[in-house]
Amino acid sequence: MCSACGFPALPGHWTDAGAQRPGSRVRLRFIRLVIVNRLLLPYRLSAYDDGVTPGLQLMAPDGERVLVADLDTLWKEAARLAGTPIDPLSPRALPDA
Amino acid sequence: MRDARRADGRLPLTIIGGFLGAGKSTWLRHQLHERHLGPVHLIVNEAAETPVDNLLLGKAERVEVLAGGCACCAGRASLVAALRRICAEHDASGASETGRIVLETSGLADPGAIAAALAQDPILARRLVVAGVIVLVDALHGAAQLAEEELSRRQVEAAERIIVTKPRGVPSEALARLTRTLRRLNPAAALEAAELGVPECLPVDDEAEPYDLPETASMSAEPIRPHRLRLAGEAGWAGVSVWLSALLAARGDDIVRVKGVVTSPDGRLLLQSVRRIVQAPEILPAPEKDAGPAPEDDVIVLIGRGMDEERLARSWRTFVTG
Repeated sequence: MCSACGFPALPGHWTDAGAQRPGSRVRLRFIRLVIVNRLLLPYRLSAYDDGVTPGLQLMAPDGERVLVADLDTLWKEAARLAGTPIDPLSPRALPDA
Repeated sequence: MRDARRADGRLPLTIIGGFLGAGKSTWLRHQLHERHLGPVHLIVNEAAETPVDNLLLGKAERVEVLAGGCACCAGRASLVAALRRICAEHDASGASETGRIVLETSGLADPGAIAAALAQDPILARRLVVAGVIVLVDALHGAAQLAEEELSRRQVEAAERIIVTKPRGVPSEALARLTRTLRRLNPAAALEAAELGVPECLPVDDEAEPYDLPETASMSAEPIRPHRLRLAGEAGWAGVSVWLSALLAARGDDIVRVKGVVTSPDGRLLLQSVRRIVQAPEILPAPEKDAGPAPEDDVIVLIGRGMDEERLARSWRTFVTG
C-alpha cells in the first residue's frame, strides 16, 4: 500500500485478473475507462484516469469528485451520486429504439 | 465406497444436488481426486447450453455432459436415455465391479423429482438404485436461498446427506442457525460441512434460533432461467469485467449465477459468480482429452430473472463493443 495515498487498500479485485503483464495492465486500464464512461453517460456522471493516481476519479455534474479503488466501489459511489443504480439493462441506459 | 456387484444386479446412482453456486463441482472434484467414490461414471447436467463444470471434473473414469435442459424437467428425457444406455453398456461389458454412476444435477434441479422420474421408468426402475442424494448448501448464501427460493427448500428436503460448503469466514453463530434450520427442514439427513471438499466441523448449538422460512413468492414469481451471452467484439476480458461488475452491482439479487470461459491476454479465464460475489477467476489449463465437450470460449451464461437474451446482447453492443 502507498503510504501517501493509501491505495490499494485491498489485494487485487477480481476484475484485475487476466492482466498480469505490465503491458496488458495498462491496456486493460484504458479499455476499461472507455466502457466505464459509456455506462456512466446516461446517468450524467463521468470517470477520469490520469494515469498517475491509482484507481479512478468519479465526477458528478455538480463538481463532486470521488476517488474509487475498484469497480465495485465505483458502481456503489456512482449509484449514490446518481440516486439510482447504474444498471446496464435499465430503460434509462437502454432506451427503446 | 467401492461396491462389488449388487446381488440384484442394479447399478448404484448417487445424485448430487444443491442450489446454483453451492459448490457442487468443487466438492465433487475433491472427492474424485481423493477417490472417495471409487470408480465413477459421472454425468454432469447443466441447465444452460454452455457446459463449464465438466472442465473441473476430469478425474472421473468417464464424464458425460447433458447440457441444455435441467434433468428434472426439460432435460429429463435425455437423462433417462443416457442412463438406459449406461445400463446397457454395463450389461454388455459384464464387469464384475460396478463402480457407481454419479449425477451432478444443475443448480435448478429438484433431486427428488429426478429420483421420482427414474423410479417411474420401467427399465431404470429395475436397473438402477438411487444409492444416495447428497445436497450441498452454501454457508453464506444458504439462509437467504432457503428463505426466498422454494426450490432450495425442496433440494434440502430431498437430501439424505447435507453438506454445508464454504463454512470458513462465516460467523459460527450464523452457521449454527443455518444448521438448525437445515435440521428442522430435514431431520433425517446426515449433516456435515466441507471447505473445498475437505470435511470441516459444524458448530453444535442446540440453542441457536433457526431462520424463519416464510411462504415464498418464488413459486408465482418469474422462474430463474439461464441466458446465454456471446461476448462479441474486441473488448474481451476488459469489457466483461466492467460491464458485468456494473450489472451485478445493480442486479445481484436477480442474477443468481454467472459462468463462462473468457479469453484474456494471459490465458483462458474461468469466470464464476454467485449473486454479487465473483470468485477470483482461475486461469484454465488446456482442455483434457475425454473431459467431455469443451465449453465455448467467450460465451457466458447468466442464470436469473428479469432479463432476456436480446436485451443482454443489446446492452453488450451498446456499452462494450460500442
